[in-house]
Amino acid sequence: MTPLKVDGLHTYYGKSHILQDVKIEVGEGELVALLGRNGAGKTTTLRSIVGLTPARSGSVTIFDRVTTDWPSYRIAALGVGYVPEGRRIFPNLTVEENLQVPLERPGPWTIQRVYDLFPRLKERRSNKGRQLSGGEQEMLAVGRALLLNPTLLLLDEPSQGLAPLIVRHMFEVIASMRKEGMSILLVEQNVRAAVAIADRVYVLDDGKVAYEGPAAEFAQDEERMRSLAGASSEAWEDFS
Amino acid sequence: MSQVILFNLLNGLIVGAFYALMALGLSLILNLSGVINFAHGGFLALGAYFAYSLAPITGFWIALVIAPLGAAIIGVAVERVLIRRLYGRDPLYSLLMTFGLAFIFQDGLKFIWGAQSVPYQIPSWLASPLSMDLFFLTGYRIFMIAVVAIAVGGLFLILGYTRLGIRIRAGTLDLDTVSVLGVNVRVLRSLNFGLGIYLAGLAGVLAAGMLGLAPTIGDQLIMPSFVAIIVGGLGSLPGTLVGGLLIGVVSGITSVYFSEATEAVIYVMMALILMVRPHGLFGDEGRLQ
Ligand SMILES: Nc1ncnc2c1ncn2[C@@H]1O[C@H](COP(=O)(O)OP(=O)(O)OP(=O)(O)O)[C@@H](O)[C@H]1O
Ligand SMILES: [Mg+2]
Repeated sequence: MTPLKVDGLHTYYGKSHILQDVKIEVGEGELVALLGRNGAGKTTTLRSIVGLTPARSGSVTIFDRVTTDWPSYRIAALGVGYVPEGRRIFPNLTVEENLQVPLERPGPWTIQRVYDLFPRLKERRSNKGRQLSGGEQEMLAVGRALLLNPTLLLLDEPSQGLAPLIVRHMFEVIASMRKEGMSILLVEQNVRAAVAIADRVYVLDDGKVAYEGPAAEFAQDEERMRSLAGASSEAWEDFS
Repeated sequence: MSQVILFNLLNGLIVGAFYALMALGLSLILNLSGVINFAHGGFLALGAYFAYSLAPITGFWIALVIAPLGAAIIGVAVERVLIRRLYGRDPLYSLLMTFGLAFIFQDGLKFIWGAQSVPYQIPSWLASPLSMDLFFLTGYRIFMIAVVAIAVGGLFLILGYTRLGIRIRAGTLDLDTVSVLGVNVRVLRSLNFGLGIYLAGLAGVLAAGMLGLAPTIGDQLIMPSFVAIIVGGLGSLPGTLVGGLLIGVVSGITSVYFSEATEAVIYVMMALILMVRPHGLFGDEGRLQ
């Protein structure tokens, strides 16, 4: 069973044609990085996969089920965890309440285990979502997605706006999820960090797949890395 | 004189409690689904008539609990079949739909139970005054306030401490993210609608015991309930509760001194409050912010 197969995807926002024939695959236990400049269509790709902005044509297949037109909650119930861009923590709920929202799919993840992974969240358990720092919000968004006990995890820029130390922690967590057997699609602006932990890489440009290949091969292509990375490459070098 | 004030204060509190029950249900539905349910008064009447038909068979107490449940079940059916189709569209559609439903309810109730108002029997020990001095203070009035307090307390417990309630509050601000976390938001909206209608049905049963039944029983409650929501602050349920009680009490007191203004005063009060606090009393956390 392939965790994720996206084929010939065309997605629109109203009249603007954003995704054009996007084809992406994530294999069992694979960590795949989805890269691209601002506005390339990375977020839109994830939104189409999870059913928030359904594709107009093409297909999304998750664990051998064609989910293209499914509502988001049915897709999630297959075991698809999603950490959205900007985290989308519920600001009016406490940390603990945020963790009680996800569907309780059976599996190893419990609220207690999320607190073990992110002790900071435990300290903040009765604080409202709006009172959290960016790093705490990211931990909460990841913890919340894990509580669904996903087998496929989609992350949209988990390092965005975070201090280097927290970014490193986040990437360690992501790498450890893969070790647990999760298949992961990781959208990142932090190109070097993402390539360092990924198995394969896709690069989106203007809504089309411009590159696809093994992470090791991509890492050799210094020029391509630099052109994609822009400012964020410096941020990574800061702490690597 | 002070007895008159006390009487009207109590009356205002009771009327306010009805506004609050209605308005809390309306708020739940508005906050999660963006629908202004003009048929809410119809559901209130439906609950009352269910109790009217049930009570001779089951007795007063069981009817009090079961009749609102009947209204809630009809409510969920109406939501699933009709209202759900209008989610995410221009609010005008659901406004028209529920407005039409309100008329359908009224005629339906007339057709089944007749247009004439009918009395609703309450247990006799509830109907007698508690003391000679406070002759107006019948057991039933205290009882109504107690039931409303229990219902409101129950609602806030559900919203505060159950997964259902937590998901409803989460969905109020970001339903997409709730859905993406695997929660069946169609069911969530249906249950939330049912919860709102239960409160209306309960208000109906209680009101029937005080005023008797007529198909139009919910009519006088609906506009003040909207005022309660706005006064309390859109999106805030505690605000809705306070708003309902407040306008009930204010119009009750007003009836002592200037009875012609009993109805107008709540709109004047709404205007004044909105001038000072444009988002209502508790409106800071509302989703309109
Ligand atoms: N809700 C929307 N309505 C209309 N256009 C949109 C909407 N969201 C995104 N777009 C457009 O779609 C294109 C792709 O946006 P998307 O958010 O998928 O890019 P991205 O690769 O995630 O960028 P970033 O790195 O900035 O997050 C952009 O041109 C953007 O302006
Ligand atoms: Mg994006």
